[in-house]
Amino acid sequence: MADLSLHAAAAQRGMLLSDVLRRRRRLIPALGPGERLKVIDTLVPLLEGVYCHLPQKRAGYAVDPVQALRLLRQRCVELTDGEFHLAITGIITGLRDAHTRYVGPSGLRGRVATLPFLVESFGSYAAARFIVSKLAETADVEDPDFVEGVELVSWNFVPMSRAVDVYATQETGGRPDARRARALETLTFRSLDYGPPPDEHSVVVGFKVGRTLHEVRIPWRVVGIPPATMAKDPQVALKAGWNPAAESVRKAKKLMFAPAAWDAQRLEGAKRKAPQRKTSAPEPDSAPAASPVVGSGAAVGGWIASSLPDVLSARTVPTKRGDVGYLRIWSFDVDDHEAFVTEVRRLLQELPQDRLIVDLRANPGGLIWAAERSLQLFTDEMIRPTRFSLLATPVTRAMAESAFNRLELDAWVESLTDAVSTGEVYSQPIALTDPAWCRDIGRTYPGAAVLVVDPNTYSSGDLFSAGWADHGIGPLVSVGQATGAGGANVWDDLQLSEALTGTAYEFDPLPDGIHFTMAIRRAIRSGRSDGVPIEDLGIRGIPYALTRRDLMEGNRDLHNFCAQTLHDWASS
Amino acid sequence: MLAIRGRIVPLSADRAVTPGELDGFVGTVWIGDDGMVSAVTRGRTATPAGFEAARVVDVGSSLVFPGLIDLHNHLAYNTLPLWTDPNRPADKPFLHHNTWPGARTYAADVTWPAYTFITASPEELLAYAETRAIVGGTTTIQGSPPKNRPRDGWVVRNAEDEKWGGRDANLVYASTLTLKPAGLADKAVRMRHGSSFIYHCSEGQAGTVVAQEFHDAQAAGCLQERFIAVHCNAVAPKAFSTWRKHGAVVWSPFSNMWLYGSTTNVPAAMEAGQTVCLGSDWGPSGTRSVLGELKVARLVSDDHGWGLSDSDLVRMVTSNPGDVLARSWKRQVGRLQPGSDGDVLVIRATRRADPFHALVNARERNVDLVVIGGRAQYGTPALMAAAGSTVTTALTVDGEARAMLLPRPDDPASPWEWHDVMARLEKVRSDPKRAIERGRLKQDAAMAAAYLARSRNGGGSWSSTSRPSASPPPTPLRLALDMPTGLAPLGGLPKTLTEIVVPPLAGLSHDREFLNSIVGRGYHRGLLDDLAGFYR
Repeated sequence: MADLSLHAAAAQRGMLLSDVLRRRRRLIPALGPGERLKVIDTLVPLLEGVYCHLPQKRAGYAVDPVQALRLLRQRCVELTDGEFHLAITGIITGLRDAHTRYVGPSGLRGRVATLPFLVESFGSYAAARFIVSKLAETADVEDPDFVEGVELVSWNFVPMSRAVDVYATQETGGRPDARRARALETLTFRSLDYGPPPDEHSVVVGFKVGRTLHEVRIPWRVVGIPPATMAKDPQVALKAGWNPAAESVRKAKKLMFAPAAWDAQRLEGAKRKAPQRKTSAPEPDSAPAASPVVGSGAAVGGWIASSLPDVLSARTVPTKRGDVGYLRIWSFDVDDHEAFVTEVRRLLQELPQDRLIVDLRANPGGLIWAAERSLQLFTDEMIRPTRFSLLATPVTRAMAESAFNRLELDAWVESLTDAVSTGEVYSQPIALTDPAWCRDIGRTYPGAAVLVVDPNTYSSGDLFSAGWADHGIGPLVSVGQATGAGGANVWDDLQLSEALTGTAYEFDPLPDGIHFTMAIRRAIRSGRSDGVPIEDLGIRGIPYALTRRDLMEGNRDLHNFCAQTLHDWASS
Repeated sequence: MLAIRGRIVPLSADRAVTPGELDGFVGTVWIGDDGMVSAVTRGRTATPAGFEAARVVDVGSSLVFPGLIDLHNHLAYNTLPLWTDPNRPADKPFLHHNTWPGARTYAADVTWPAYTFITASPEELLAYAETRAIVGGTTTIQGSPPKNRPRDGWVVRNAEDEKWGGRDANLVYASTLTLKPAGLADKAVRMRHGSSFIYHCSEGQAGTVVAQEFHDAQAAGCLQERFIAVHCNAVAPKAFSTWRKHGAVVWSPFSNMWLYGSTTNVPAAMEAGQTVCLGSDWGPSGTRSVLGELKVARLVSDDHGWGLSDSDLVRMVTSNPGDVLARSWKRQVGRLQPGSDGDVLVIRATRRADPFHALVNARERNVDLVVIGGRAQYGTPALMAAAGSTVTTALTVDGEARAMLLPRPDDPASPWEWHDVMARLEKVRSDPKRAIERGRLKQDAAMAAAYLARSRNGGGSWSSTSRPSASPPPTPLRLALDMPTGLAPLGGLPKTLTEIVVPPLAGLSHDREFLNSIVGRGYHRGLLDDLAGFYR
């Protein structure tokens, strides 16, 4: 155990950002003019020909990334390296799409910039207040009054609310509440795979102790978190719906605030040889599920042991209306959807059978099959999975017609071909999850269930939420206006390159380890919201504003609200 | 330099070799270092100039044919046994090629096992399929699956992949799936520019809707001399005569009878001037090789009263397809004459055996030597050694020992042991789920490594600052399936890979198991049962 703690402690400490940046400048050569042109000339046709949200983004935000890149191309040679990458990042981030990201030079691959605390907000959107909800053990904070629960009033001398909203302009997220939620999620944890490092090497945080204002300077550190990868199995990975940046951040938060669980999972990963996860009970030396990753004041203790502790937690929570079951789905990032659904089913059977809270807040997504297949466990209604369509262009047509893509894309060939004459912008929408798989187990949980989401519930989290709402499974409570609105299936540049190999649109890798992710197939809701896209809209629910007690006392008010909602639902 | 001496049946169009195309004689085929036939001489003593040091392999009374050409196959499926749909009545043959992929069992019985092998063991799969071909005397085969790169160390020539050392990779196009008019028109243009196009056309019972495919091809301008139409069993006899720039029809009698209970009107096609060739199609509905297909053609011709002679049938696997391929290849296979490629088949036969009858009736154990491009590729250990091919792998075929040149894909200088190929395929078969997952990971990891290496090297030719680096890792061989995938969930595979069952590997020869599996199955009404008679 001493070795584990040392390892975790070292990993938590990381390196000072200032040191990392100094070394990085020596390691990473600048891109030459030809390489800059290559980056732009690769991205332009792919955004035009493959990016499934292009029409919607042009309409919704009056942005045109294609034209922006063409303009950048004219002046890119004159820019510094940093300016060039920032310009590209800005254009892509301006799409407000966490699925579609520009991954900069490889010197910062697998790193997350961290401050040793979490900032969360409570209260309404217009009158939000910000507190430190979690603080790791660290020597970097010299003011002993800077503790969990203090209210933050300024950030680098800028009033907190303003500082968060200014930072939010650099983040993805379509709606203002989504941008703010994304901003808070990454305010103190920034995946350097998907964005530039912080401008400052340290932050000066203003906070209140009683009526007294304090300020403390805290340095940024950089920890190593392997880049998030969706599923080891490459065929399964093509069915990913997730926010890769958020997944990296989630893991970094686990390291910071639940190092024992992080360490246990690290050991488990080292032992694991086969792609599939075990479905048996966790081994003694793995961390019990009693240490959930992060969350708004999640409590420790009383958790049911799970074979998938990184993605599932379950326990009974007390409310004013009696004990209620609580299932937290942290992520759908699994390789084996069968094992995932089996484990959810098992956990459900161990919880109180009359009332349940399913919490999907901050779920960054994952395997679409895992999300959609799980819905059947909560309802008798036949689940109709979300459907996905491709942008109808010569590029997607060629991709779908390629012999190597027959199994994956053949179903869309006909409508993509017909689109030439019909003028349809999109192909026919087709489910990625076989409908038969969405009803092969049937209802497991007999009681009433309420789903809780927030603007960081994303991608496959959006799909689960959509299915929940569109099949009337139960009430949906939304912290913030709605879910994060990630309505697509996402591929990275390697997957896209493989899919286009042999076609007239195949492309070379971008230089120097530069990568990108892109939304490929656009999600369309089914059931009661049949035909409605998810991107930029999300799934709305009964609005709820977190309280301070939620953040500091394990979501107590939220649980009470959910229990009341279930009561009202049953009565209506 | 290699010379094969025996009873030469050259099927030559060169009158200097033989007055008549079907003539045979005791003589020698002389193959130069360039792999081409330099001369075909009569008698046992003549030696052309420059061949004094040639290695002469005397096969005595055995017959020396051009290597056989299988002009219709689907190699990715040739580990599979014959397939039928157990839910379909025995008296209800399939109507056409769009009906049997819709059978409930098709995806599980055909697509999933084939997918398992192309994912987990693509090299071994092709080695197996090509070995089965050469065991049946084939030297050129059509139907290698789509692949991301040419395969090193092939056993037999692949019709679509053959570039003859040139840069044009598109001498032969092929399509299994039905094309739309625009796609057909595109191929028509390519044919006019010199390529051949092998197209599955009108496969089904006569009078069914798929007959329209022939007319669609006609409307798109495809009925040219480089159009090679596979099956055409739904084509009305008169329609063949509308194909005035005579092309080729590939006939697969076993497959047709198995699935549809009827077959191509070969006499009509021949009468209309089309060149008829044979192809063994694929494992789920075909023979093991054209050596078997010859016999089926014999059975069908006799049953239908077509009067096709043994020499007619032999031409369908030699000079006919050779001439057809020459229209785009600009090189001659399928005939033994000066300037043709040195692809030779030696069939064990007695002195008095009629050559064509002997070949039609030959079994795998009668295939004594196969030479491709002047190199002894497969044969009895003695003949292989005599021909100078000593770094070989051993295998047993039809009860007899054989040796084969089979280089390792990762080390072409070393022989790939046959038992290693089989062991790998059996291992894949024993746990398809694990094999698929590992295969995917391995392919993905190799592609990712190659991608990353190219990225680090400046991302390709654009870079002004590209840094010289070691050669990128070799791209792993990646194959795709070319037949309909059938009814399956999106993605083509079952919910969990544990549902995939791979049947025992089909044998290399027309063995007892294959012959027994014909009886009482398929829609041939017993006609194909008589195939067993050739193997007693």
